[in-house]
Amino acid sequence: MLENTIEATEIKSSEELLKAVEGLKNDGYRYSTMMCQKENEGHDLIYIFEKDNKLKNLRYFVKPGEKPKSVSGIYLCALLIENEYQDLFGLTFEGLAIDYKGHLYLTPNSPKAPLA
Amino acid sequence: MTTIIPFGPQHPVLPEPIALKLEIDDDVIVGVLPSLGYVHRGLETFVNTKDYNQTTYICERICGICSALHGITYTRAVEKLFDVEIPERAQYIRVIVGELNRLHSHILWLGLFADGFGFESLFYECWKYREGVYDVLERITGNRVIHSISKVGGVTTDLTKEYIDITLKMLDTLEPQIQNIEKVFVNNYTVKKRLVGLATMSKQLAYEAGTAGPTLRGSGNAIDVRNTSDWDIYKDLGFKTCVEDGGDCYARTKVRINELYESIKLIRNAISKLPNGEIATPVKGTPTGEAIMRTEQPRGEVVYYVKGNGTRKLERLKIRTPTFANIPSLLLTLPGAKLADVPIIVLTIDPCISCTER
Repeated sequence: MLENTIEATEIKSSEELLKAVEGLKNDGYRYSTMMCQKENEGHDLIYIFEKDNKLKNLRYFVKPGEKPKSVSGIYLCALLIENEYQDLFGLTFEGLAIDYKGHLYLTPNSPKAPLA
Repeated sequence: MTTIIPFGPQHPVLPEPIALKLEIDDDVIVGVLPSLGYVHRGLETFVNTKDYNQTTYICERICGICSALHGITYTRAVEKLFDVEIPERAQYIRVIVGELNRLHSHILWLGLFADGFGFESLFYECWKYREGVYDVLERITGNRVIHSISKVGGVTTDLTKEYIDITLKMLDTLEPQIQNIEKVFVNNYTVKKRLVGLATMSKQLAYEAGTAGPTLRGSGNAIDVRNTSDWDIYKDLGFKTCVEDGGDCYARTKVRINELYESIKLIRNAISKLPNGEIATPVKGTPTGEAIMRTEQPRGEVVYYVKGNGTRKLERLKIRTPTFANIPSLLLTLPGAKLADVPIIVLTIDPCISCTER
């Protein structure tokens, strides 16, 4: 059991995620970044937003085999970090504004999804 | 008809490898595709094999320009996990070294920028002035590039009277030197002709594009991590956010020049208020839980996420560097610009690929 966990709103589905991110944008939040880590066979994503020097976090668990929806249609700047996680964790984000197809960092000869 | 030409990864204005595929129509940019990965080091994974104290040294090696601030951010994140308050003197020393870091980083950038628009003697002048800051950092920390000032629980080196004296003497020399080069960057006809109105981002666009640092503040957004509750010490030092409204390359340059004066003021104030006492507090145990820490680096906000699992090795370290946040803004500012202006526009986000390719 973790102590010191960061405050984050739990998101249950991709649709709910997009709705929440859209809402944050309308409320004037700035996209900061996203964390990704392996968790219980799936992946734990933490989206970080900022407004008035305060952070707001969304936590979304990606089930094994699930393709999360990209938020780059809402915040264009999310495209790099989502491509990074496609490379490193083997995730597939649906609807990416620019899709490097797993080759933002990795060359065709690199190991596939080294952090997966 | 459009043509695609490569800009980088090896290019005279780029000290580090990043590539941009530029789609041009005549000599006007109509599309951009950034390409990374030339020097990716996988440091975020490497730390999984190291003790959380050793990880400090890895974080400092992410970048040779803002090395001290990477170390400070990481150690503050781990201290947050431990819920440890470090001695006040250590906090002040971190601020002093961090601001010295910002000083030499911004002067380095001014030199590179001058070289980018063909003012080579100005480039040499800037880098000559930067040496003074480096000399002081070397005297204080014993290291010229990787300063290793911060450790979990405090700092590694105390500021003696000798170090304080050489720092104040250096600032007294540096301030008029900056005033000297500022005249060229701010008033020179040719420089203004190249920069004013170039690659303009509105306040809203820079905000929504997730930009950071002088790129964000150059568009009128008064956002600086030094104003957050994690960095209350800056309030005591009279920190003032440097903002410009122009949104163009000229405004981003002015923000950095103003931040030089602000850093000098902060260092002087920190030295005058430097409290006596210990420089570190012992930290024992193993980190558990997760924490986010942000710091204002020279290029903007860096975000560290750390997760401990009760062992001496971190389970996850994630670093979002400011250049990573600023690269997408090139997708918005380059289209419509002329090919000859691409180096200038790219340089005004002060790209640090070493940071980006952790």
